[in-house]
Amino acid sequence: MTTKDIGPKGPVVKTGEAVVDYVDDRSGVKTGARWFLFRNIPKGTSWFQTLGFTAMALFGLQAITGIVLAMYYKPDTNTAFRSIEYITDEVTWGWLVRGMHKWGASAMIVVVFLHMGRVFIWGAYKYPRELTWVTGAVLLFMTMFMGLTGYLLVWDQKAYWATVVAVNITASAPILGPYVGDILRAGPEFGPNTLSRFYSIHMLVIPGGIATFIGLHLYFITRLGISEPPWSKRRLRIERDEEDARRRAARERQSLAGRTVVPAGEPAVPARAEVAE
Amino acid sequence: MKKSQQEAYKQDYAAAKKDGKPFFPYAIYKDSLIALLAIGIVITLAIVARVEIGEPVNPASSDFIPRPEWYFFFLFELLRIFKNQNVLTPVIMGTFIIPNILILLMIIWPFIDRGPERRIWKRPISMAVGTLVIAFMGYMTYLGATAPEGIGSGETIELEPQDEISTRGTELFIANGCGSCHMIKGVGAAGPGPNLTNEGGKNRGVQWQIDHLKNPQSKIPGSSMPAFASLPQQDLEVLGEYLNNLGTKYK
Repeated sequence: MTTKDIGPKGPVVKTGEAVVDYVDDRSGVKTGARWFLFRNIPKGTSWFQTLGFTAMALFGLQAITGIVLAMYYKPDTNTAFRSIEYITDEVTWGWLVRGMHKWGASAMIVVVFLHMGRVFIWGAYKYPRELTWVTGAVLLFMTMFMGLTGYLLVWDQKAYWATVVAVNITASAPILGPYVGDILRAGPEFGPNTLSRFYSIHMLVIPGGIATFIGLHLYFITRLGISEPPWSKRRLRIERDEEDARRRAARERQSLAGRTVVPAGEPAVPARAEVAE
Repeated sequence: MKKSQQEAYKQDYAAAKKDGKPFFPYAIYKDSLIALLAIGIVITLAIVARVEIGEPVNPASSDFIPRPEWYFFFLFELLRIFKNQNVLTPVIMGTFIIPNILILLMIIWPFIDRGPERRIWKRPISMAVGTLVIAFMGYMTYLGATAPEGIGSGETIELEPQDEISTRGTELFIANGCGSCHMIKGVGAAGPGPNLTNEGGKNRGVQWQIDHLKNPQSKIPGSSMPAFASLPQQDLEVLGEYLNNLGTKYK
């Protein structure tokens, strides 16, 4: 009993197949899904290799909690602090969403750094994955910049003055510093436009950048494959075999050296020719 | 890596892939498990360690402690080390040179370390550099987390002789949060700002001190100190007088 006749396909199944075929014919979605989901990865991938996905999941969590917060937050110097109080004290589960966004930011930084540490220790940034590393480094900077811009939005004393210092530091950099400082502050001084500018950067500019670079990062990972642990069973077996071969060769050289004397630097062929004479 | 080594790696990886497993579901299942764990931790922290509400921003009041998020502590600590005490510790080292060296090093690292070796114990230089950077950043973060935030309540600065300027100046110094960046006679934070115990010895003049308080960057380019232009003129005059005599008249 190898096949089971389940009768003619129902109209729903037929329509479904037709829709998938229609979309696939125009988009190549089947090929894409096969390329992304059903590619092979080396055996013995480690639990440490889940950190990248976890960072992405936390970014998703930040996006969702951020969207909810944006429904109540008001990026205006007169109302910003009040709206944070409102979210924390009055909105149903607002304290939870705000807490998750705040802790999620810290968690994302931790996971992103652990992920980078894993890649570094494994040498996974080496050929052919150099550009995967570079896109990852850009993602790390953008994540930290998210932390900087988001910190100001709560509009409390600690965050405000820390951001004043941070922007002063940026503005003190040579050549471009003063211009970048003015761009961040929306002018020479901190003011109402600074808050809405940070809001815009935090809500629109960097999330767009992060999403783009996650896309690039994933493209590279899918194209090049996830790296194999340097101490996978397969690698260790190969290394053992190579070591055995090296030893065997060394032994052979030694036993040969006992019989025939080949003067250093002289080719072996004339020596044999002499024997023939 | 030489062309032949690149080819060898590609072949080796193709072999690893050939007897591997499909990404879906094997990797996805592990990924989802850890991601859910991380999200669970975030939710737990959000419930257990509630995020508090601070004081609303008041640009006129400078009674504040400029503290960044914990993941910027290592940069904040750099400011404490490099604050222009001498030629060897210019502010620009902490604000620009070291952070940018770290950034550059990180971006171009794969183009520096190009050897084919991937095993930890066969890459001593990479591991040494990595350990050094991690230890440095970890230590700086620890320093930042444990550094005193400023002047504790009830603490005050004992200056001799006590007159109107030294008493009022100390009050203003404490009330305006100067102590979260500066130290006078062991009271206050050891940075990012310079120690002011002997500020008067620099003979900068009262007017210089007032102008500097109003606009620090106009006197010390590259300074990251916030402007105190919103202080009342008489407070500025007291602080100017006070700072200009610290370590000389007031000890």
